[in-house]
Amino acid sequence: MQIFLYLIIMLIGAFIGSKNFIPEKFENKLSTLQNMCLLFLLGIMGYKIGINNDILTNFHRIGFKAFLIASLCIAFSILFVKLSYTVGGGHKNDN
Amino acid sequence: MTIKIIISVGIGILAGIFQRNDLIIENLNSLIDLGLCLLLFFVGIDIGKNKGILGELKKMGGKICILPVSIVAGTLVGGMVASLFIDLTLVETSAVSAGLGWYSLSAIELSKHSAELGSIAFLANVCREIMAIIFIPFIGKHIGHHETIAAAGATSMDTLLPIITKSTNSSVAVVSFFTGVVLSSLVPILVPMIMSFQ
Repeated sequence: MQIFLYLIIMLIGAFIGSKNFIPEKFENKLSTLQNMCLLFLLGIMGYKIGINNDILTNFHRIGFKAFLIASLCIAFSILFVKLSYTVGGGHKNDN
Repeated sequence: MTIKIIISVGIGILAGIFQRNDLIIENLNSLIDLGLCLLLFFVGIDIGKNKGILGELKKMGGKICILPVSIVAGTLVGGMVASLFIDLTLVETSAVSAGLGWYSLSAIELSKHSAELGSIAFLANVCREIMAIIFIPFIGKHIGHHETIAAAGATSMDTLLPIITKSTNSSVAVVSFFTGVVLSSLVPILVPMIMSFQ
């Protein structure tokens, strides 16, 4: 259900953006507003980690295993995406 | 941006350890929902302002499916490789990695098998999210735009979507959301399926 809520909110934003309903003053502040929301969310995520005793107390024991799995998952998924777009002739990155 | 991100998460962690407030703790999920909805609304406006996005997606066509498939394959291979270095079986590390960054669901599912595996799944997927937050700006600048989605995994449709958008552009944001939805739908299927091989 949450996915649909996110989708609807994004669609409403996209509709408003495409119809130019947003005043120019607000449009210029869009990036700053995004940054503020993002940093707020990250702070809350950090808070969630900080209050979770399970993570903090178990970190020394299982932290290395978790870190290794996470690192390898990220590295290999990046590698597979790079390979599939290079070898498979997928869409080029635009950076 | 990376420094601001690290500082925000760091302040949050320290506040969580030293300043526990029942009112905040009770309303954490509502605060996250509120922040996320606002952010997605702003991302939506950005997408709407960029008229070329729909054309971009049409141009990609079926190739848009390459991304989630590659991310799942890469993540599972990463999990399998990890089993060579730690005292967990191939099935266990694969199941942990199949959380694709969605720590709550994978941890709950795997804690049915063992509390330790549940904790590892939780931590590994939290680690993936934190590492993705830190490295996405670098990946977007030096490796590639779609690779930022690979690092994020299932969270590319919500918590990491804004970071991906900031480090790439709004057309990647649409691909990111689509990929995140596909990956999130796969997690509840993949984790129990892999554990059934145990």
